[in-house]
Amino acid sequence: MRIAIDTGGTFTDCIVIRGSQIRVLKIFTSPDDPARAILEVIRSMVGANARHSLLILHGTTVGTNTLLERKGAKVALVTTAGFEDLIEIGRQNRPRLYDLNVQREPPIVSRVLRWGIRERIAPDGAILMKPSVSALRRLKQEIRHSGAEAIAICFLFSFANSANERAVAKALQTLGLALSVSHEILPEFREYERVSTVAINAYLAPRMGQYLARLENGAKRFFSSKTPSVRSTNPARPPLTFVMQSNGGVTSAARAIREPVRTILSGPAGGVVAARWLADLLGRKRVISFDMGGTSTDVCLLDGPARTTHETVLGGLSVAVPVLDVHSVGAGGGSLARLDAGGALRVGPESAGAMPGPICYGRGGVQPAVTDAHLLLGRLDSEYFLGGEFRLDLERTKRGFEYFLRAQPRAFRSQLNKLMTPLDLARGIIVVANATMEKALRVISIERGHDSREFSLICFGGAGGLHAVELARALGIRRVIVPQNPGAFSALGILLSDVVKDLSQSVLLSVPKETSHSAQRRRFFQQLEQRMQQLEQAGRAELRKDRFPAEKAQAQWRLDVRYVGQSYELLVPFTLAFVETFHQEHAKNYGYADSARPIEIVNLRLRLILPTAKPKIAPERRIPAADVRSAALAKKGVWFGRRLYRAGFYQREKLLPGTRLEGPAIVVEYSSTTIVPPDFVCGVDEYRNLVLTCHAQ
Amino acid sequence: MHSDSAELEIFKNLFHSVAEEMGAALRRSAFSPNIKERRDYSCAVFDRQGQVVAMGDHMPVHLGSMPRSVAVAIEALELAPGDIAMLNDPYAGGTHLPDITLVLPIFPIGVRKPLFYVANRAHHADIGGAQPASMGLSEEIYQEGFRIPPVCLARGGKIVPDVMALLLANVRTPREREGDLTAQIAACRLGERRLAELAAKHGIGKIRVYQEALQRYSARLMEEALARIPDGIYRSEDFLDDDGYSNQSLPLRVTIEIRGRLAKVDFAGSAPACRGNVNAVLAITQSAIFYVFRCLLGEDVPACAGLMAPIEIIAPKGSIVNAQPPSAVAAGNVETSQRIVDVLFRALAEALPSRIPAASSGTMSNLSFGGLSPRTAQPFAYYETIAGGMGARPSADGLNGVHTHMTNSLNTPIEALESAYPVRVRRYSLRDGSGGAGRFHGGDGIIREIEFLAEVRGSILSDRHRFPPYGLAGGKPGKAGKVELVLPTRRVLRLSSKISFAAPAGSVLRIETPGGGGWGTPRAQKRRRQT
Repeated sequence: MRIAIDTGGTFTDCIVIRGSQIRVLKIFTSPDDPARAILEVIRSMVGANARHSLLILHGTTVGTNTLLERKGAKVALVTTAGFEDLIEIGRQNRPRLYDLNVQREPPIVSRVLRWGIRERIAPDGAILMKPSVSALRRLKQEIRHSGAEAIAICFLFSFANSANERAVAKALQTLGLALSVSHEILPEFREYERVSTVAINAYLAPRMGQYLARLENGAKRFFSSKTPSVRSTNPARPPLTFVMQSNGGVTSAARAIREPVRTILSGPAGGVVAARWLADLLGRKRVISFDMGGTSTDVCLLDGPARTTHETVLGGLSVAVPVLDVHSVGAGGGSLARLDAGGALRVGPESAGAMPGPICYGRGGVQPAVTDAHLLLGRLDSEYFLGGEFRLDLERTKRGFEYFLRAQPRAFRSQLNKLMTPLDLARGIIVVANATMEKALRVISIERGHDSREFSLICFGGAGGLHAVELARALGIRRVIVPQNPGAFSALGILLSDVVKDLSQSVLLSVPKETSHSAQRRRFFQQLEQRMQQLEQAGRAELRKDRFPAEKAQAQWRLDVRYVGQSYELLVPFTLAFVETFHQEHAKNYGYADSARPIEIVNLRLRLILPTAKPKIAPERRIPAADVRSAALAKKGVWFGRRLYRAGFYQREKLLPGTRLEGPAIVVEYSSTTIVPPDFVCGVDEYRNLVLTCHAQ
Repeated sequence: MHSDSAELEIFKNLFHSVAEEMGAALRRSAFSPNIKERRDYSCAVFDRQGQVVAMGDHMPVHLGSMPRSVAVAIEALELAPGDIAMLNDPYAGGTHLPDITLVLPIFPIGVRKPLFYVANRAHHADIGGAQPASMGLSEEIYQEGFRIPPVCLARGGKIVPDVMALLLANVRTPREREGDLTAQIAACRLGERRLAELAAKHGIGKIRVYQEALQRYSARLMEEALARIPDGIYRSEDFLDDDGYSNQSLPLRVTIEIRGRLAKVDFAGSAPACRGNVNAVLAITQSAIFYVFRCLLGEDVPACAGLMAPIEIIAPKGSIVNAQPPSAVAAGNVETSQRIVDVLFRALAEALPSRIPAASSGTMSNLSFGGLSPRTAQPFAYYETIAGGMGARPSADGLNGVHTHMTNSLNTPIEALESAYPVRVRRYSLRDGSGGAGRFHGGDGIIREIEFLAEVRGSILSDRHRFPPYGLAGGKPGKAGKVELVLPTRRVLRLSSKISFAAPAGSVLRIETPGGGGWGTPRAQKRRRQT
């Protein structure tokens, strides 16, 4: 039995699939010890089924929070002598240009815990100097007495030759501390990004280890108490835990403890995996996932398998491991509005959060937020919000907007002439918030050479359904899909995730010219193939070590390629035609290509995938012209543009496959609301997804 | 048509994202380390009058000088659809010769005059002249490289081959130059495409309304900021060490007058233009003033011409802050610009004592070198700037090892540097104790040691060897900069702040950059902070 558990800031979502039945459970996260809430969830979900072997797939924020809250381990960092401060200097730039009070995140390893060792590798891998035995002895002594809880080692050019790093790791092994060594974690060039990644790994390892051990032990205890039958001839296997990684695949708990840096951006990954799965189920190749929550919106373009990036910055620190290419902007339901000193209406990135929340929550919020604007426009109804558990205060919101407008200086009169009433302000707030999200969608589609009109939008998260249609209209997207249980969509993605292992190796190899001798080119390809095979063997060995059936893994070979002299690479599949593919990609991304220019291969990239059996969800029969009366809640006034319409409100759970709702209409469910503007129609497909399309098409 | 608050915000961001997108494309496809790693470039969008409506957050030193390029290009050339103007002449819209600027007019369908212009400027690794990387000592502009007045690099959508050939024949690394220019052209074309889409979507009338609304909006923002500064006349002075030819220090003097919502900045009393190349053309001076006042805004806004509208600038012609031909100017952009910022902040510290930081390192510590690569036997040229300590703020220590004020360029990764050039970096660390003491400490500078594995000719253009970065409110100054060349014979040569030198293979150059000034009287025996 597979159970997915997604720990978020407020809620822990849990999802189990039995047959074609999806069961979802949502409980409050226990921030002091997330494992407690999880074990509770497992207990209530698994219940009598504990006899079957149990597989827990877990999306955790323990790594992310440990880093952002700076609660990680005391790390000893060992570098090449002369480069101890690299982790502090970084790329020697400041994060904001015109801010006299700008701060940089302090390094996660303080000066007293950094050691330089006299050693050196040349760019071609030649050993110029080996660490001396006496230096190693002294290093070991000093680290032993420093109180360090974990060790990170990163030498220059270790990707070209790891001998010196290995020698130091071997000498320090007996200290019994978790070791993170750069050629193992990230054998890629660019020393700052590497040292940062490796130090973060060391910083997280002890905490992640403790947390997952507590979780696994808890599950084991619970499990053994449920299976008292010592006499049983066929005792069930102990429960297994897999952990979600930032690259959109899961890995074993043991690997997550060794390489926790691979989990710290896994938050948005589940939703992307689920979006890919749903798109495949519906036979759509090109989709954009759109996840709008309270403070931010995550978007990801999927043209085939999800892409990864290696240039992530989290909390001001570089993390160069593969991360799903999700673009995030500070616009959400809680985003706050204000007028700046020049009279422009700003929305976000400041957010009302859960406390005090928007004005309409009545918990002390006074500044207009996006959710308030929707309420004033009639799109949210206090009776159905969160199943009616929570009343939204319309009067208070109106007064708040009136006060906001009165409080603005006269100097902005001319600017404000279109923002005279609370309704105008509400419309303005929505328009500005939409513009921010539209930009995010443009960045990942049009700015990367895709035509947004060829995509469908898969929309989830609490606030997505309130904005998706307008965004689709702005980008010429013809179809918006709102899946069932949009609040648990990320958890569903985790449940469906494959086991994925990513490996890389910097090689910096010049590709022989087209014109050069064909024998030379053939030899080059053979060499490249050999190195890829070596990498693949190493990868399979690690999978075996993690107790996966490594021989069943599918391998994907890819290359990071660029023109000689450039600094950014493009990722292309390793085929005989990779050179042509590169030129095409370059033209698509940057507007030009030059086939006469020499090119080089910077990194080999290998991905090993053990596919997870995807559940077979049987489509339901569409009922032609399904009756919507049982789902109808009320008819109320809702603003679209500058017109007030009477729109029907419908309960999502009661809408049957085959339903067709003409806009204007509002579909409400427990944790989200979807609006259907007058020129749109909302269908319910055979998997109970809402499918919104424009009349005009 | 009137503008409104919501659409104003939207158009502001639309224009800004075009500039940012151009920048990203340029960075990712360029070849010079200066562009791709160090990000020494700027992209901007201009309205139909040639006023900036949006500039990417790239290089502050280009803030005031980009508009000049567009103005000069419009004046000098009849730009038709598909044309691209190119220039680098500091006396005709440029800054210093390695910065090549391209300007492209945008004619939406059915419009006879351009509705927009886009421009991008990038620091090329070499533009010819006496020294590799074109950043050495010089006495007149003719020694500093190939000078390009506004010319058409492309006509009707096609590159003019003669112009390209003429340029490439005058630089040390032509293949790299060609690649960078191709990337610059592609970025211009990208901007053109996006703005034409915008015009088609929103209509030309509306675009015009918001072009103007943005100028008024940004002027209002600056007026609000000026109104918060107490009225008065504020004076100060600071010095450049020397011009690289004599020992004479060079004073910069400024008088800032704040009256209501207006400001006047007057450089009367500053040194006349000098024999060396620390002369700034007016555009550089404007950039530095733009930067300082923008820091006081307290709002995160794209750079817009309107921001400068309430500020009057008086810079005596022929002085070091308004140099005239044929003065050499290579270091005006990188060194004098920093000192102008220092002197402006020093004056404003009197008006706003709780907001203004002590002096930062005040030099970009420019290092350039070149020679013949032993591996490929081809000429190479390399240029980098080295960070220093940030000045302490009235409520916080200064940052260590960071680029400040007029630059924000990144370092070239050591593993990239050593893979491409015959050098070995021996040390790259913080310079302990170089930040000035104070209630808040100045940030520490950097020590960088580079061993040359082949014979090179190199240049240093730096400052703050003699006049260290000042402290404020009783804080101590940061440590001055220092440069040494250790020859293979172990003999140590102390180099001055501005010098061109030849170094045999096996010599090691050691550069120590200045620390930032401290802020506030140091508490007795304050414990040395731990980072």
